[in-house]
Amino acid sequence: MDFVFLLQDVINGVLMGSIYGLVALGLTLVFGVLKVINFAHGSFIMVGMFVAYWAVALTGLHPYVALLLVVPAMFFFGYASQHWLIRPIFKAERDVREPTTVIIVTTGMWYVLDNLALLLFGPDYRALTPNPLKGQMLELGQIFISVPKLYGAVATFATCAGLYWFMQKTRTGRAIRAVSLDRDAASLMGINQWKIFNIAFGIGTAIAGIAGVVLTPFYNVYPSVGVPFDVKSFVIVVLGGLGSIPGALVGGIIVGLIESLGPMYMTATWTEAIVYGLFLMVLFFKPSGLFGQKHDW
Amino acid sequence: MTPKQFKQTLLAVLIATAFLLPLVVQSPTYLHLLIMLYLFAYMTTSWNLVGGFAGVLPLGHSVFVGIGAYISTALWLQWGVSPWIGMLAGGLVAAFVGYLIGKPTLKMRGAYFALSTMAFVEGVRVIVENLDYLGPLKLNGPRGLNIPPLSPGEGGFWAFQFSTKEPYYYIILVMLIAVALLTWYISRSKLGYCLQAGGEEPEAAQALGVNVARSKVVAMVMSSFLTALAGTFLAQLTLFIYPKSVLTLDLSFELAFIALVGGRGSIAGPILGAFLLRPVSELSRIYFSDSLPGMHLIIYGVILIVVMLYQPRGLAEPLGRLFNKVAAKFTSGGSSETPGVTENAKEGA
Repeated sequence: MDFVFLLQDVINGVLMGSIYGLVALGLTLVFGVLKVINFAHGSFIMVGMFVAYWAVALTGLHPYVALLLVVPAMFFFGYASQHWLIRPIFKAERDVREPTTVIIVTTGMWYVLDNLALLLFGPDYRALTPNPLKGQMLELGQIFISVPKLYGAVATFATCAGLYWFMQKTRTGRAIRAVSLDRDAASLMGINQWKIFNIAFGIGTAIAGIAGVVLTPFYNVYPSVGVPFDVKSFVIVVLGGLGSIPGALVGGIIVGLIESLGPMYMTATWTEAIVYGLFLMVLFFKPSGLFGQKHDW
Repeated sequence: MTPKQFKQTLLAVLIATAFLLPLVVQSPTYLHLLIMLYLFAYMTTSWNLVGGFAGVLPLGHSVFVGIGAYISTALWLQWGVSPWIGMLAGGLVAAFVGYLIGKPTLKMRGAYFALSTMAFVEGVRVIVENLDYLGPLKLNGPRGLNIPPLSPGEGGFWAFQFSTKEPYYYIILVMLIAVALLTWYISRSKLGYCLQAGGEEPEAAQALGVNVARSKVVAMVMSSFLTALAGTFLAQLTLFIYPKSVLTLDLSFELAFIALVGGRGSIAGPILGAFLLRPVSELSRIYFSDSLPGMHLIIYGVILIVVMLYQPRGLAEPLGRLFNKVAAKFTSGGSSETPGVTENAKEGA
């Protein structure tokens, strides 16, 4: 019986953890290419959730159909914010070693987006209606698997596979990899690094949108919903190694497992302390993370 | 009168005005706003020692505010130790914690340092929220600590409790001037030059024999000590502290915002930033909180973005230039575009 409980918690942890991985994936991609921590990432997830919520509430379509709307909309949203807000600062701070001003701009975007949502929709917690996936469970013997979380995990692996294919097989993907390795050398080879930054930021934002859509069927939607995801995804990307795609996935699953197994042995708040403790330990002993390379930037 | 004399006179006038202000401003509400303004200017100036000069972005300074607030309060509640002594004790503990956390993290690159200080705040907050006692010190978990107000006549200087706002006003004003003077002194000392060199070109500085890592840690220790003093002041001003009031990311972020909008790495920058941003957040909160929830933070965010887009190095520089032009007009000395004048000009603003 105990073993069944443990297995149940492990499965829940892995499913939720892979969704965390999806959340962190966009962040790590943006960091890998632009070397910028996007503090507005959680807000992008919130925006994705609200778009999905309203698309379903107004049309009554299946929640995942919202992906068709959210992914392109979020891509252009990210593309535009990078182009209009982040690029000018980048150019101004070209010679600065550690471009920290960009962090302030993305934090400003976080404040504006979260509070714009508060202004428009109020502070209420909203649950998706109509929700065809509500409370759906897959029963395997004594083990229950939440269907929307399972789809979320599937979406994570599909997104990872898609991103991997895009980065390896397309010209744009190759250009993104080149810019993330050495932006100056890439520029000399005729790659327009500013355009690559825009595209990378757009893809990162679109991935945040996908995370928002898969979260909506089992998570409440409210203006500050992104904040816990924000902090969690920082922890995850550092655990896995900033800029590493498999690192984001593994880091997400580790955090998901701690969160789901921890409460069996201690109170939930101490579980949170363990996550931060682990984060600090990794920073001190292996700052490059589990999958990160030794960076020099 | 040379431009330099003009500036010194103006600075003296500004400081004198600040000291005489409570004679004119009688309303406790406005005095409180001014006290908070000075408090944030003080905290940001302390932040600036490591965040400005050393060129890193610490996002965890609320931990030191929390240490200062909790230690002096626990000492006062449990053993009746004067908060003035508690202030010093809190400062020393914070300096030690600053050393422990700064030693390994300050070697990291910008992004890692910013993230690790953030995780540090969240970790400490979670721990404090879960503990009723830390050793002999009472923390009282998420409920926080209440300092029972003393009856009139009983309080006074030793207890750091006053029935009017004026004593608080003068204490924080003196603290602010002292920390600005200290920053001014450091910026012209060997440590200051080491920090600036290490912040801009770490490799080159190291090659010239500057111990970059050590000077950053020294700056961090001083900065944590000074920030903790503000924590004690805040606790005595509000007489109530709890984890979400002192150990939050919001507070840490606000210090960074004020410094960056004002201009990091200068002496006037943090003070200028506090005088520009605090009124915006306070006033817009007062006027919009009922009708348009969240509006004040939208305004705040937009200001951050716009300032960073048009003046990525903060407002102290362009305002200083403008001031120099005005100063040149008032005095016989023609051009006054000398480096370093900007800092001197607005020190006590």
